[in-house]
This record gives sequence, structure tokens and C-alpha cells, in this order.
Amino acid sequence: MSPRRVAAITKRLLQGFRRDRRTLALLFVAPVVILGLLGYLIRGSAEPNVGVANEDSGPLGAAVTSALEQSSLIHATPISASGGDARLKDGSLAAYIVLPADFTQQAQAGNIAPEVHLEGSQPSQDGPVLQALQQALISVVAQRPGAPHFQATISYLYGGPHLDTLDFFGAAAIGMIVFFLVFVITIVSFLNERSQGTLERLMASPLRRGEIVVGYMIGFTALALIQSIEVLAFCLLVLKVHNQGSVLLIFGIEALMAIVAVNLGIFLSMFARTEFQAVQFIPLAIVPQFLLSGILFPVSSEPKALQVLSDVLPLTYAVNAMRDVMLKGADLTWSSLQLDIGVVVLFCVLLIAAGTATLRRRIA
Amino acid sequence: MAEGDEAVSESFAVDVQGVHKKFGALKALDGATLQVRQGEIYGLLGPNGAGKTTLIRAIVGLLAPDSGTVTVLGRRMPNLDVLRGVGYMTQQAALYPGLSVEENVRFFAAINGVEDGVKEALDLVELWDRRRSVVSELSGGMRQRCSLACALVHKPKLLLLDEPTVGIDPQLRVQFWEDFRRMAAAGITLVVSSHVMDEAERCQRLGLIQYGRLLAEGTPSEIREKAGTQNLEQAFLNLAGAERS
Repeated sequence: MSPRRVAAITKRLLQGFRRDRRTLALLFVAPVVILGLLGYLIRGSAEPNVGVANEDSGPLGAAVTSALEQSSLIHATPISASGGDARLKDGSLAAYIVLPADFTQQAQAGNIAPEVHLEGSQPSQDGPVLQALQQALISVVAQRPGAPHFQATISYLYGGPHLDTLDFFGAAAIGMIVFFLVFVITIVSFLNERSQGTLERLMASPLRRGEIVVGYMIGFTALALIQSIEVLAFCLLVLKVHNQGSVLLIFGIEALMAIVAVNLGIFLSMFARTEFQAVQFIPLAIVPQFLLSGILFPVSSEPKALQVLSDVLPLTYAVNAMRDVMLKGADLTWSSLQLDIGVVVLFCVLLIAAGTATLRRRIA
Repeated sequence: MAEGDEAVSESFAVDVQGVHKKFGALKALDGATLQVRQGEIYGLLGPNGAGKTTLIRAIVGLLAPDSGTVTVLGRRMPNLDVLRGVGYMTQQAALYPGLSVEENVRFFAAINGVEDGVKEALDLVELWDRRRSVVSELSGGMRQRCSLACALVHKPKLLLLDEPTVGIDPQLRVQFWEDFRRMAAAGITLVVSSHVMDEAERCQRLGLIQYGRLLAEGTPSEIREKAGTQNLEQAFLNLAGAERS
């Protein structure tokens, strides 16, 4: 392996990007757009609109209504029960709650019976409505004389009450974005190398296959690391995503993910003949990995058969490592992090070998 | 490799012996045999699909023959070290479109382990003044010239040119052939493939290829004599017809 020839490949790759403004935009604007959107969606989302029709003749109905109005989970407004269904249909309400005329009376008999009408087609809105109602009822009932006192003691092993969905997704998204963009750029540039005939020329030169793969790897990993700096700075400084671990460690994991992405791209480019086909590898190679990596659904809650699949995909370990570091403050002394990083390194080695091995086969 | 082995083939820059190569059911090379002497311009002539490109790729070691041997500059192929002394210009102008002319040539120099010679190569193809132009903005002829510069920047002893004059204007074609002659005079061996018969006259020796094997090999006049005609095109048709019957 000659460092000079490897350097020549890397230099050529970076020279090409200097004039390729669109690809540079993809690399450096896209992550900010995606993460910015994600942040705004999660943190800036409005609470569901809920109508409250208080028909109770007793005092309890009014108390529950005012507790609902103060809830931070929903945006409650008083309505009349008769207009409720129409407002669910026109979409101005996600749900309405009716406190019937005998609400207080029934409650005194030990039967608390509010009616909840849900729009129902958007399950993600139902949770907060029910949760808000429950909290309102508990707070109202607890104030009544002789009621049992309810007070759980809550402690957090990691994170805390301030940890939100963005903190959970953010940690994984940082790695995922780098992985995805680097993969796309690698598979397309390597395919270009094939289709424009330059790969044939490279193979007819003293270059060794490994030198081509390593040259590519260094070039794209360098780009990925610059991108990582941007993504990390944006997440930590602008979005203020929770981070308890070492920034350097996060950076190291990102570098490993970039290497996996580059080599996966080189490897899969062997199986595509056109850019169009290469793009089709995204739903095939990337989306299942994304779904199974635990970004959206924790691996431990997946069906058993899918857990097996998750366990053999590199992204699962990378996402886990990112979360361990950022949310739990893991460092290299943690055995779980050692395992995750070890597996990702193993995947790097396997994919480098696979990419190198298939290089000659498809050129001939 | 045995000492004697090298000595035998040293007099030939390229020595191809009975090479067969099948792609599925297609016999791309069917016992091709040819010998190229040091410092000559060898024309590989044949219609499209005759096996010219496959043969050149076998010579450069991009393709492993099913049987038969390829010896280049005294070494059995495939051999990475020999490639240092070989320049290969592919049929399509294989260049990096996003790089400038000079960056392209400098890259191909670097992967061959050479640093200088870039200006010399660009001067030869008369592109030094356009060295800063980005390849994607060049005309087809200029790309072809840039491609040639990339193939010869590391001063190879053997230059393999796969249809170098396809798609370029007559003026540039004349100029290319003058360059080839000058290179041959400087001791470089050239193998030039073409399907244009009038280019054959410019070669010192010719190999006529059809159905993956050589129909005839020799100087242009030897081939005319063998076919019994004064016209090379007719000679080719006569020889191809004789082969088929």
C-alpha cells in the first residue's frame, strides 16, 4: 500500500467536490434543514385542541374543567356538548370531554364518569388528552376531604424530567444523518467512477484495489467529519440537545459510522449499473436499517424475529453507542459501549474486505 | 518466473498466445495470437464487436483469459508492476468531468508514481493553454486529447490506444497520427485499435481481427499481397470471407 497513491485518490476526490456546489449543499445544508425541522416539529408542536362541555349541576364539574384548562398537555376551551361532533369533523377539535349533569352526584357515589369523544384518526393526539384528563381528575379528587393521598417518588437513573423526544431522537439522528448522506454520496460517486470509465483506467494502473478503497474511505470520512462538526455544533448549541458524554467520543463514533457508510456504498455500487439503480438501494439498504436500528422503536420492544435482524445490522450498534454517550454519559470504560464500538469496527473491516474483493469482479 | 522465459519474449513488447475468453455463450476471444515488436506502431483492425477492446483489456490485465498467455514487456500478465510502463487510453474519454485538464493529468501521473511530465504531456496534445478548463466544459476532441495526455504522462514504454480517433475531426486525427509516429520514433511501442481502414496504412504492422481471432498479421503491403488486392478494405473482406467459408 503506497501512501502517495492513496493520497492521490483522496486529493482527487476532494478536488472534485470543490466545484460540485450541489453536492456540497447536500452535505452541509441538508443536515441543518433536517435537524432544524425535527427540532421545531418536536419542541414547537402545538398541544391538541380539546373542547370541554361542563353540564354538571354540582361543583366537581367546574373544578375538573378549570384543571383541564390549566393543563400543559392540551389546549382546553369550553364548548357545548351538542356542537362537539361537528367540531371533531371539521378538525377544529382533536377531542371533547363531556362532564354530564350528574357528574358530582355520581362521583359522590364513587363513580367518576366523564365522557371522552376522540377524533381517533391520529392516535398520537389521543395520549395527551387522556393523560390530561386523568391528571385533572386525580388533582380534583385528591383535594376532597378524606380522599387517599397520591404522591409517587420519582427518580431518574439517566437524563431527567427535562429530557424530551428531541433529546432521544437527536442523539441518534446526529449519527444517522451523517451515515445516510455519506452513503448516498459514496454510492453515486463510485458509480460515476465506473460509468465514466475512470475505474477501468485505475485498474489498468499500478494502483492496488485496497489503495482505491482506502483512498475513497479517507476522502469521504474527512468530509463526513467536517459535516459532523457542523451537525454536532448545531445540535448542541442551537437545538441544545441533551449531552452528558464526551464530544470527542461522539465524534469518534461518527467517524466509524462514516467509514461503514463509505464502504457499504462502495460495496453496493457493485450491484448497480446506473445512478437510478443506486438510488433504489436507499429503500432497500437504508430504510430497513433505519427502522430496525432502534431510532424509532427500542430494539428490546421489537418482535423476537426482528430483534435477530436488528442484532446483525451495524446501525443498531452505532445508534446505541450514540445514545449511551449522549444520554447516559457513557465513556470507554463501559462494557456496553465497548461492545457497540467493537461491533461497528468489525463491520468496518468486513465491508472494507467486501468492497475490495468485489472491485475487480465487476470491472472485468 | 524462469530467467529464460523473460529472454524469449523480451524482443516483443506484447506477446499474446492463443487467448480464449468467453462471456456466457459469446466467444469474445477465440484463440487470439499476436506479437507486437518494440518501438513499432501496431494497428489492431476489425469491425465493431470483433474483439478489439476485449483483446486490449486482456493485454493490460483487466481481464483474465480462460486459456492462453499474455506477456507484456517480458512479464506474464496480470502483473501490477508492469503497468507502470504501460499507458492505456480507453475507448470513451475516461476522465473526471469535475476536474480541470491539469488536475486530471496530474492525478493520472500521481497514481503511476510520477510527479513531473504534466506540462510535457499537455504540450504534446496542445492543451497547456487550456489546462485550467474544467473537463465537463471541453469539446469532445479536446477531451480525447486530454485522455491521451493522461495515458502518456508517466512516459510508458507501451501505449495501448483503444480507438483513439473515434469522434474527432480529420485535422486532429492527422495530428494524432503525427504524435504517434513521433512517440514511436522515441522508442515507445504503440498498439492502436481502429475500425477505420484508411488508418491502417499509417501503421508499421497490422493485425486483422474478426470473431475474436487474428485473420492475418503483417505490414500493410504483406496483407494486401496475401489477400491479392490493392485495397486494404477489400483485403479485409476477402480474408474475413475466406475465414468464414
